[in-house]
Amino acid sequence: MGTTVTHLPTTAAQPLTEGDEGSVPRYGPGGGERRTRAAVRRRGRRDNLAGYLFMSPWIAGFLLLTAGPMVASLYFAFTDYNLFDTPKWIGLRNFTDMFADPRWRTSVEVTLWYVVVGTPLKLAAALAVALLLNQKRRGQAFYRAAFYAPSLIGASVSIAIVWKAIFSDDAIVDRAQRALFGVDVGGWTGDPDWIIYSLVALTVWQFGAPMVIFLAGLKQVPRELYEAAEVDGAGTWRRFWHITLPMISPVLFFNVLLETIHSFQIFGSAYILGGAGGTCGPADATLVYTCYLYVQGFENSRMGFASAMAWMLLLAVGLVTAVLFWSQRRWVHYEEAAR
Amino acid sequence: MRTNGTVDRRSLLKMAGGSMAALGLTAAGCGSGSGSGDGTVTIRYAWWGSDDRAKRINQTIALFEKKHPKIKVQTDFQPYLDFWKKFNTQASGGNPPDVFQNAIGFLRKYDEKNVLLDLNEQVEAGNLSMDNFRAGLEEFGRVDGKLLGVPVGSNSMALVIDQPVFAKAGISPKPGWTWDEYHDAMARIRDTQGRAGDSGLYGVMYLYDLFLRQNGKAFFTEDGLGFTEADLVDWWTKGFQGVRSGVYADPKKVAQIRPKSAVAAEIAASEFTWDNFTIRYTSEGKSQYGLAPIPTTDGKTTGQYLGSLMLSGSRRTQHPKEVARFIDFMVHDPEVAKIMGYDRGVPATTEQYEAFQPTDEVNKKIAAYERQLVETRVLQPITPHPAGADVCEAAFLRVAEDVGLGKRSVDEAVQQFFTEAKTALGS
Repeated sequence: MGTTVTHLPTTAAQPLTEGDEGSVPRYGPGGGERRTRAAVRRRGRRDNLAGYLFMSPWIAGFLLLTAGPMVASLYFAFTDYNLFDTPKWIGLRNFTDMFADPRWRTSVEVTLWYVVVGTPLKLAAALAVALLLNQKRRGQAFYRAAFYAPSLIGASVSIAIVWKAIFSDDAIVDRAQRALFGVDVGGWTGDPDWIIYSLVALTVWQFGAPMVIFLAGLKQVPRELYEAAEVDGAGTWRRFWHITLPMISPVLFFNVLLETIHSFQIFGSAYILGGAGGTCGPADATLVYTCYLYVQGFENSRMGFASAMAWMLLLAVGLVTAVLFWSQRRWVHYEEAAR
Repeated sequence: MRTNGTVDRRSLLKMAGGSMAALGLTAAGCGSGSGSGDGTVTIRYAWWGSDDRAKRINQTIALFEKKHPKIKVQTDFQPYLDFWKKFNTQASGGNPPDVFQNAIGFLRKYDEKNVLLDLNEQVEAGNLSMDNFRAGLEEFGRVDGKLLGVPVGSNSMALVIDQPVFAKAGISPKPGWTWDEYHDAMARIRDTQGRAGDSGLYGVMYLYDLFLRQNGKAFFTEDGLGFTEADLVDWWTKGFQGVRSGVYADPKKVAQIRPKSAVAAEIAASEFTWDNFTIRYTSEGKSQYGLAPIPTTDGKTTGQYLGSLMLSGSRRTQHPKEVARFIDFMVHDPEVAKIMGYDRGVPATTEQYEAFQPTDEVNKKIAAYERQLVETRVLQPITPHPAGADVCEAAFLRVAEDVGLGKRSVDEAVQQFFTEAKTALGS
């Protein structure tokens, strides 16, 4: 599932204005035009061929490693397939089984909770730090690198293991909460009610990537707007709400979209934090959707069921993305008139 | 314009063709790389276990390679659950290890899927000897006349205990002690030793099997579950009460220290598990660990049987002869027994059994424990393990943990387990 967004709204290409002489080659009238056109077409075709040939390693990879398996998994979704025997067509059984399965419902609940709570927190952290780093101060380059670093390593297995150690019984978080707040909830990773917060904390900590994008957006906001607002007596908050936020709303939209899709696909950190072998957290507390998909596919050898789950996830993410795109008319502000 | 910066079609095609050919050559070079010109053969060997076991096994492999210079062994190991996930994926892709550790719960499952090598042929060819096995163990790996696994050792369920804690609490379990006596002992440990008595027996499928066998039932029949929902409601209700009263360890704590055991981590004073695990606990923990008998219902029957780890071959191996020789060496060579000790159970063959005379406390205890099982005549035939038994075991442990954590009512949990078990067993 490649989720690439093709353009950044802020860097959108300038539209070609009609009648732009320089952009479209013009040829003289009569037979000469005809001949030249044919030659151009021929050359174009040859260039295309060369282009496709240079792309062929990627195309082969895409067809063999992405498109092919996707088509196969669409077929498996309607079969009973245990990896060894030939798949048996069972129609919609996997889907009806899925809706009747309490563990599947648990995985949906855990995932939705994680997306709805984790994504806004992460974006809020990213924006807050981006605002701080956007000020003119010495050593900003260092801070930028320092805050970005966790996103580079945060998704790795080793960090998930370290995270697990930090949030265990008698480890640093457990001691701190006893010393600072006098509460004794024990280590978070063993507690079905708390482990999900350590997972959210791990996600929020990786705010670096959206932060960098926010920072780029903030740098684009024209200074005159702030100067004018200041002259009119607008305070910090008013400037933030009425200038910064609308001006960076395309970037915000981009980040919301990307991070939401990302959150739906969380696997590694949840799997490791939840104790890897066999369980996904105490009492399925970190049984995110992809973890359950993995359990069904590779532990219980129900590849048909797992494929059906994967397609449900694709549909759900597609739906959420569509809703986000539809909603952007109401809150995303594109600065076209200013150009 | 034509010559400037553009590549013409012909040379481009040549380039493309050349690179394709190069790719093809590399691919050909990579395929089936397990044999080489001088007759040296490489076989892949995978097992599950701890670092301690890995160290021992690597020593035995070094020994094997020295005596069989034409066979090289590549190794791979993971913890139990991860091992089977990886194995399942490899096997379904037609690329399982040539030889691997196996257990009874997986024989039928992978036989049905044509993964296991029938070793009878190799026995007839003289590459593998099935002589000199103790206690009828040579039959353990046979399914429908096929020889699918060769036992490396025998083991049995036991109560592994933290000895100093039991001694301080004044408890010395005797063969034939009852569940009531056991529960009193656990309560005494909780009251006097400041830790739970047991780590969570309600989730151990193999112990529940013994309890059922004490009452004329068993966990599995040939093709399904051998107990009713009411039986399990009873078992898990008692388990949950035990957690609430602190007799059994807090599952939150047990979950956090995994893969370390709750006994070695000093959260609980005892745990029902396989007797050879004492070796692992000794390498993990600081205390001394011993073995106590399984409690009984009638003062006599424990329901125990001998279990066994085995070595199996893959049906797709290109080197069945070498695989058979490797297994033969691992189960018969006296030096191997001296290195392995009782890590995978008491050695299966008499030559290995005699070669290893335990000198350290832990191995002596395991030997004494299994000797006592034979002398008290408690051993019975093993419970059948239908295909899907492994998935049932994992589900049993997981759903029991939900119960222990209070996240699911017992009734709900039993429903959930039965639903999952029926799916797994296909009944």
